[in-house]
Amino acid sequence: MDTIIEFKNVTYQYPLTKIPAIKNISFQMEKGKLYGVIGGNGAGKTTLCALIRGFAPSFFKGELQGEIFIDKKNIKQYQNGELSLKIGYVFQNPFNQISGVKDSVFEEVAYGLENFGVPMAEIEERVVSIMKKTDILSLAEKNPFDLSGGQQQRVALASILVLEPDILVIDEPTSQLDPEGTESVFRVIKAMKEMKKTVILVEHKVDLLAEYADEILVLKGGELIRKGKNQEVLTDISLMEEGVLLPQMAILGNMIVQSGRKLQEIPITQKQAERIFSQF
Amino acid sequence: MWIEKFQIKKTNKIAALYPITKLWLTAFYILGTLIVSTIRIHKLPLLLLPWFCSLFIFASCSGIRKKFFKSIKKAAFVAIIIFLVQAFIVPGGEVLFRFGILRICSTGLITGTNLSLLILNIAGIFVWLFQTTEYKEISRALEDNGLNYKACFLFLSTMQMIELLGRNSRIILNAQKARGVETEGNVLIRAKAFIPSMVPLVLGAIISSEDRVLTLESKGFDVNCKKTHILNVEKTGNEKWAICIGIGILLFLLIGRIVLWIQ
Repeated sequence: MDTIIEFKNVTYQYPLTKIPAIKNISFQMEKGKLYGVIGGNGAGKTTLCALIRGFAPSFFKGELQGEIFIDKKNIKQYQNGELSLKIGYVFQNPFNQISGVKDSVFEEVAYGLENFGVPMAEIEERVVSIMKKTDILSLAEKNPFDLSGGQQQRVALASILVLEPDILVIDEPTSQLDPEGTESVFRVIKAMKEMKKTVILVEHKVDLLAEYADEILVLKGGELIRKGKNQEVLTDISLMEEGVLLPQMAILGNMIVQSGRKLQEIPITQKQAERIFSQF
Repeated sequence: MWIEKFQIKKTNKIAALYPITKLWLTAFYILGTLIVSTIRIHKLPLLLLPWFCSLFIFASCSGIRKKFFKSIKKAAFVAIIIFLVQAFIVPGGEVLFRFGILRICSTGLITGTNLSLLILNIAGIFVWLFQTTEYKEISRALEDNGLNYKACFLFLSTMQMIELLGRNSRIILNAQKARGVETEGNVLIRAKAFIPSMVPLVLGAIISSEDRVLTLESKGFDVNCKKTHILNVEKTGNEKWAICIGIGILLFLLIGRIVLWIQ
């Protein structure tokens, strides 16, 4: 197993709080896989992302116990800026991810490369390439603030992807988007998976996770209550008692099984459901 | 070449001057304004009016006549308000005009004229500066001249933030309008709608600042290395001439002022 992220007995508590946001979590993540992170509000999903990226405790302060390894190196040993190249981070609100100092999408996407002092010719090549992949080349000359939410989120993704990080942490990228915007963002996430990036995706839309994720992590009250392949985790009806919503197809499959019929397997995606239900 | 598309090209020789040179010219003009304001005709700094007219000629030569005139009208409106407030409020000296309880005293007239003409001139030169120079050009030139990139970012983001907050306040006002809040009408109605919109505007800006900081961190803003810049701001070769002419005019005004004192 080619481990890229490892948590060893990690507990993290924000400053001025009495309860840890993350409680004694241990897990490993493999290179090139897409991990979906689910859980209710306050489960610790965003804190987990902040820990992976190193924002906690360096930015948020607070108390960290245990060890976090990124690419087999303790996160504390990373130099300033090293993590920016290694781990990309995309936030929930696309609007807040616009730097505010660039007035075209092209310049916005190139901003990270400018900060790292990448030569001009390389900047142009990399920016154009990533804009093509994220389908925003036609927006190159527009002001980022004039774009729709979905377009802004794709710009935010492109701005991070252009830095070519090995790991990408994406925190609820579609929570403020309409179905069309959601679909366009997931197209980009799919492209990232094809580029063999390790993606950690926090998302409430479990139907989409069922389709794209390799593994699922379920958090509750700061604890990791389940981790496993998406087929295993997203078909476990007991998770609904923990407040986790399962994909529509998995709920339907479970209901059919509970009614006494036998199924090859419980489907989690529409495609699987079509194949399995066609037996009837 | 994509990067070529994002360079700022100007055909006008004055507008194309290096931003730092234009900052110097702005400083010279402000100093000139202060010198001219000390020359009094009937105790009034009336020479500031022709001095202001010279700014119109300068703006026309910079190719921004219409734009400049449009913006200066707003500055003139503010200057007139200041003049009227000062003229009617500041007491002292001879009463020149009386209408009911309102009166204009000579001290008020002098203070009002001085203040409004100073504001008009200083606002005018800044209008010229910002209409011929984009914020990002100034920021880039300042960084090239040794200013810390964080300070340049602060300048640029502050300038852009003004525009952004304006945009956001319109969104909030539209949302309030959709909920039935009256946002149009007289000054009182507008003020009543404006004050509640400030709370979400300011709070929203504060809340989003954390995400913005982390976004910058994700984009390597804090990395200590030589930065690359897509935007190039270059000197045209006319900068020395512009500075010489500016200093020449300033010296002329200064010597003229001293001669008038001696006489």
